[in-house]
Order: sequence, then C-alpha cells, then structure tokens
Amino acid sequence: MSELSKFSPEAQQYLDGDSAVRLEGAERASADRLEQVIAAYTAQLRVPGAEVDGAVMRRIRELAASRSWWSWLLAPRAIRVRPAVLAVAAAVVLVVLWRVGEREPPVRAAAQTVLVRFQLAAPAAHDVTLAGSFNGWSEGIPLRKSVVPGLWVVTLPLPVGEHQYLFQVDGNQWTPDPGAHAQVDDGFGRTNSVLVVGPRGVAGP
Amino acid sequence: MEPRLIDGPDALPDGEVVRRVLAGEAALFGILVERYREEFGRYAAALVGDPDRAADAMQEAFIRAYRSLASCRDFARVKAWFFRILTNQCHDQRARRRREAPLEGFDAPARERADAAVMDGEVRDAIGAALDRLTPEQREAFVLRHVDGRSYEEMAAILGTGVDALKMRVYRARDALRQQLEHLHE
Repeated sequence: MSELSKFSPEAQQYLDGDSAVRLEGAERASADRLEQVIAAYTAQLRVPGAEVDGAVMRRIRELAASRSWWSWLLAPRAIRVRPAVLAVAAAVVLVVLWRVGEREPPVRAAAQTVLVRFQLAAPAAHDVTLAGSFNGWSEGIPLRKSVVPGLWVVTLPLPVGEHQYLFQVDGNQWTPDPGAHAQVDDGFGRTNSVLVVGPRGVAGP
Repeated sequence: MEPRLIDGPDALPDGEVVRRVLAGEAALFGILVERYREEFGRYAAALVGDPDRAADAMQEAFIRAYRSLASCRDFARVKAWFFRILTNQCHDQRARRRREAPLEGFDAPARERADAAVMDGEVRDAIGAALDRLTPEQREAFVLRHVDGRSYEEMAAILGTGVDALKMRVYRARDALRQQLEHLHE
C-alpha cells in the first residue's frame, strides 16, 4: 500500500469523531466519502431475524430432552435384583460376546461429514421440505425462510459421497433443484438432483 | 418462545440466566438467544458478508454455547464468551463462502437487483474485497467500530483487548478500504 492511500493521524482522529480536529481539502473529502460508503454498506445489510430464535430453541429442546435422559441413566440409584435373574442375564451376555467375537471385525465406514447448504427460490411457497438418499427418502426435512425474500434454506451435515435429493413445495409435487450440479433419471419417470460431497465441501460440477 | 423479559428492569441478568439454564431450565436460554441475536445480528451480517450464512453462524454459535455452557468460567461475562464463539463461526462461514462462491451463483442476479436500489454493487463488492484482505482481528474491530458504532472502550470490554491495539486495527482497516475505493475510481 502506498503512503498516499493511508489516512493521516489527524484524518484517523476525524473519522473517530474527534470534533477538535479540523480537516480540509482532499483528505477531508476522502474521509467523508469513506464514511458515506460505510453508511451505505451498513444500510443494505440484512440482519438475521427472529427465525433464528425459533430454530435454535427447537434444537435446544431436543438437546435438553436427551440430556435429562442421560442424567437419569447416570444418576446413582439402588437396584434390587434376584440372584437367579442376575445369573441368567450374565449368561446371556457371555453367549452374545462369544458369538460376536467369532465374526470378522467390521470395516469402519468413513465417518467424515461436511455441512452442506441447500437453497430453493420459491417466493410463493408456504412450506418447503427436502428428502433424499441421505435420509432414506423418508420424512421431509423442513427448510426455513431466508432473510433473502423468496429464498428457502437449510444446512445439513452430510457424509462424503454422492447424494440424490428433491424438494417438495407446499406438500405437492416433488421438484428438482435448479441449482444442482446434475440431474438424473430415477428409472420411474422422475428426475432427481445430484450432489457430490467431497472432504472439503461440495464438489464442483 | 416462553420468556419475554429480554430488556428492562425486570430482565434477568445474564449470569442468573446461565445459572438457571444449567440447573435445568433450558427454556430460559431463549432469553440469551433473543438478547444476543438482537445485539450481535448486524455484526454477524457484516462479518460474514452473506445474510443466510450469518443466520447459520448465529444458529451454530448459540447451539455450541448451549452445549458447552458449563465451561463458561465467569457467568456474568457470558456475553464476551458467547461473542468469541460467534466470531469464530462468522470467520468460518466467511471462509466457506469464499471457497464455495461459484455454487451460490444461481440466486446472485436476484440479490444484485435488490441491492442496486440501495447502493452500487461495485462499492459493496469493493468493501467486501477490502474486508477479505484484512486480518480477522482487523475485520472484527472495523465492524464493531463502524457498522455497530461501538466506542473503543465498549470494544475493549467485549474483545478483552487494549484500546490502543484496537485503534491500530481500525486505522489499518480504514487505510485498506480507502485504497480499495481509490482503485474503484481510477
């Protein structure tokens, strides 16, 4: 950076709102212009709204429920048990461990997951969900309204690999993702969107 | 959300909220969510540079904070503790946005059209590019000072950094922005 493009110490004080500093000429114009640009930039920012609160508190309720379940399991408590029942239970455990030990050790699947953001422009929609090979095409995962008008978004942790998916708008027809890298025929007359997740994020088309 | 006493004389102080959440009143965490979302939303939006990713960063920061709430050493200073978690999430989202920029192209024309009424897209991009060139610390300081309009003393309390060091970061950020804007008009 050249010295010319740096503000003088006085200009820095002026930009800090020091009313004792008198700034004139080109430096004053440059400082004022910077302030105007920052004000315009700040005015166009779209700030996260109350939809964040709802999404966070839904997740917190789930976490709190699982936490209380664990607390119940881990809390010390007195248990009365008949010795005969204990002996049978121990025998069952031994048999199971013996059978498991005979099998080949399982191959560990790659546990790597990557956060992937899905988005669909659907300005007229009241409800948008997502289903795909990553959730067994079962119940729809809800998307939330973005702060960008008409845009629906959700971020999911997905394992590395290739996935197929579709959106469903207002519980009606299934819709491929117009922004997907590829579309593929599912063999039943429907077109699925394809997503390839690599270790460093979504792979390019 | 159940609790509504976010501000005002009847509002629970942060430290009391944390104590009660850890004692099992998880719903009270909503007080901190609403309180900090309103206080730091603009900061997150500017630091990330993308509204949806800023929302993702806030969401993830709140959930991480809830999960590790017991590790917050000083309950009364939970705001500064949360601010650090949020800032890290914002830096992650900004880095991810830069890596995945081509993937987000499909709705870009709509965004640009919407933004054009408010400010020139070139100027917005110039600020974005200038912010990208700053160190994370300079970016945080610049956004707190100029977008959030905080005093250096407030910034020092949140960041745990001295006023002189913060001024230096803001000054460098202004110089970088000035240079970027000069290029714009060459």
